[in-house]
Amino acid sequence: MSAIGELSTMTRRKGPMTKEEKKANGRDNKAAYVFLLPWLIGLAVITVGPMLMSLYLSFTDYNLLQPPEWVGLDNFVRMFGDARLHNSLRVTFTYVLVGVPLQLAVALVIALVLDKGLRGLPFYRSIFYLPSLLGGSVAVAILWKQIFGTTGLVNQVLAMVGIEGPGWISDPNTALGSIILLHVWTFGSPMIIFLAGLRQIPTMYYEAAEVDGASTLQKFWRITLPMLSPIIFFNLVLQIIGSFQSFTQAFIVSGGNGGPSDSTMFFTLYLYQKGFGQFDMGYASAMAWFLLVIIGAFTAINFIASKYWVFYDD
Amino acid sequence: MLVNPKGEAVAPAVDAETRASAPRRTKRKLRASALVAATAAAVLALTACGGGGGSDSKSADGKVELRFAWWGGDKRAQVTQAAIAAFEAENPNIKIKPEYGDWSGYWDKLATQVAANDAPDIIQMDEKYITEYSTRGALLDLSKYQIDTSKLDAAALDAGKGEKGLTGIAAGINAATILANPAVFQAAGVAIPDDKTWTWEDFERISAEVTAKSPKGTYGAAAYGTDEASLGVWLRQNGKSLYTEDGKLGFEPSDIAEWWGFLKELSEKKAVPSASEVVEAEAAPLDQSGLATGKNGLAFWWSNQLPALEKAAGGELQILRFPSKTGKAEDAKLWYKASQFWSASSRTKHPEETAKFIDFLTNNVKAGEALLADRGVYPNSEVREAIAPKLAKADVKVVDFIDEIKGELGEAPAAPPKGAGSIQEIVKRYTSEVLFNRLSTEEAGKKAVDEMKSAIS
Repeated sequence: MSAIGELSTMTRRKGPMTKEEKKANGRDNKAAYVFLLPWLIGLAVITVGPMLMSLYLSFTDYNLLQPPEWVGLDNFVRMFGDARLHNSLRVTFTYVLVGVPLQLAVALVIALVLDKGLRGLPFYRSIFYLPSLLGGSVAVAILWKQIFGTTGLVNQVLAMVGIEGPGWISDPNTALGSIILLHVWTFGSPMIIFLAGLRQIPTMYYEAAEVDGASTLQKFWRITLPMLSPIIFFNLVLQIIGSFQSFTQAFIVSGGNGGPSDSTMFFTLYLYQKGFGQFDMGYASAMAWFLLVIIGAFTAINFIASKYWVFYDD
Repeated sequence: MLVNPKGEAVAPAVDAETRASAPRRTKRKLRASALVAATAAAVLALTACGGGGGSDSKSADGKVELRFAWWGGDKRAQVTQAAIAAFEAENPNIKIKPEYGDWSGYWDKLATQVAANDAPDIIQMDEKYITEYSTRGALLDLSKYQIDTSKLDAAALDAGKGEKGLTGIAAGINAATILANPAVFQAAGVAIPDDKTWTWEDFERISAEVTAKSPKGTYGAAAYGTDEASLGVWLRQNGKSLYTEDGKLGFEPSDIAEWWGFLKELSEKKAVPSASEVVEAEAAPLDQSGLATGKNGLAFWWSNQLPALEKAAGGELQILRFPSKTGKAEDAKLWYKASQFWSASSRTKHPEETAKFIDFLTNNVKAGEALLADRGVYPNSEVREAIAPKLAKADVKVVDFIDEIKGELGEAPAAPPKGAGSIQEIVKRYTSEVLFNRLSTEEAGKKAVDEMKSAIS
């Protein structure tokens, strides 16, 4: 059974409860809330509070140093005429629309290979998962910057075969591509989820297909993909949300300025620059809420579209 | 499937049934210990919050603790710590807590701290930001406190005055310069130019010659265009300026286009590094810069940065005047800049002690003996004389240069207006647009000026 399917069956259980059961449930609930308390406090103080504050700030002119001034929808109207914001949207969409499918494809291929029952699977799984843990970190972004520099590892290797490579991260034509590559490299977490999903596909389907003489490719298209579709969907939703918010890689690789020539100016990076670099926190807050709307819209589209391609086996 | 908030899978799904069927008695035991654990976690979370927030500025033994923030490298950290030690020795009741980092992170951090009402008491300030912070009431008017300014150079003192009073006291005097790495020139067999007579044409010719006679990857000069200081010099030599007295831009799109035009010419003749290399060099810290690593023969720096650069380069460097259009030193139109300011937060709880520390930095010979010329030439003439014998060779070079150009200076430039902190980023961005041939110099000039206008309006 798939993860999402499991969730839906868990909530589906209805019908009258006995008194005994209710009491036990109440006790369990209390205990659960106690367990959740640190997290709930964190949610209120660190997430919900600042979110409401930023919603308020998005309707103000706030320069960090003086009290915010109410300006209504001005910030949102300004976004329409901000060419750099439009460019940052273009950069972010390119990153999401190219990076996410590419990363998921790589993750799926590796998961399929690992699922074939390699010897030392736990070892390979850990190795492939490692970049996911490291990929978002500052250290790896700095490493990336070195590897793809004009005199970095990549160009040294290219030089051996007589090719003079460009300055991958310092050339506006290739900088974004280098960061997308960094994203693809962190395929480990979707891969682990794919692996778990592959394990849950009942072998009887494959056996039946083999009896009918299906080829490997047919088995993949007709069994693996449909059976895996809820997992693919789950990964897709998570990765799209995560990618829209990515910041660290672009910040470090471009030295914080989204350069060269704004070619790696992610939406989040521009937001940061507006807020902390140019003391335009009201506008930055409005941008944050605009991003929330974009991500919400993408997720909604995803869920609607999922009806047509995600197959639940229950 | 368990998923943590970052969206990474934590562990494969645990069977819900096995959890529910756990025996009752172990469950009760579990719950008791879990309650303790949860409470402990909650307490920890709360204390963690407490630890980060509101710093108690008065410690248990009645000492006043002041926070002092500056930007700069290792060398500056060392000399500043020495000055702090000297102050604390004289004032055992005041403790100074340093907070330092590099330039770009410094301003992000300061903005957040000020917004959070958690600004450091003593703030190293730059002319690009002082108007921003002072007009918005974030800086203390130091003229109301016990700080002796009688020994300061008048021009340096004026630089810290604004509509909100004296919100900054110059920490040092500086000039825009071109530094030369003699090792690069020697290896190329080219003579270092005479800076009293050289023109921009000479700059171009000599730089291109050095590149041609040097190994691959070494260039005659670093590219300008990564900040507005070199633009300022160029504009002044053409009778314009970065800003006007009333806080507007002092130049037209065509002026900055012309400046980029010359840069492109330099780039085409390989007098300066390729566009990609220029972008990479921007991000490098001082000790990794092309001049320090022997990859550039000439580079644009402030005079006070020479000692730190010499240390990084491991050899001597030479200070040169900017080239001029006419080949006359007085047409180079240099000026004395307040390298940095000592400012104080308007919300400091201890303005008296803060002022005392700034007074110490400004007027006490012991502070001067620690800081020497790291933040530029001392604006206090008495301290300057007293520390002269203690100066290292590199510092002496800086002081001599500042003295030497005294008679050739142009008019003092207008103070950067509010919003001037964003200008550097705009200059940098359009410089790379031009170098990568993505925009013509005219288009870049028009767009850049539009953006600058809205940044400082």
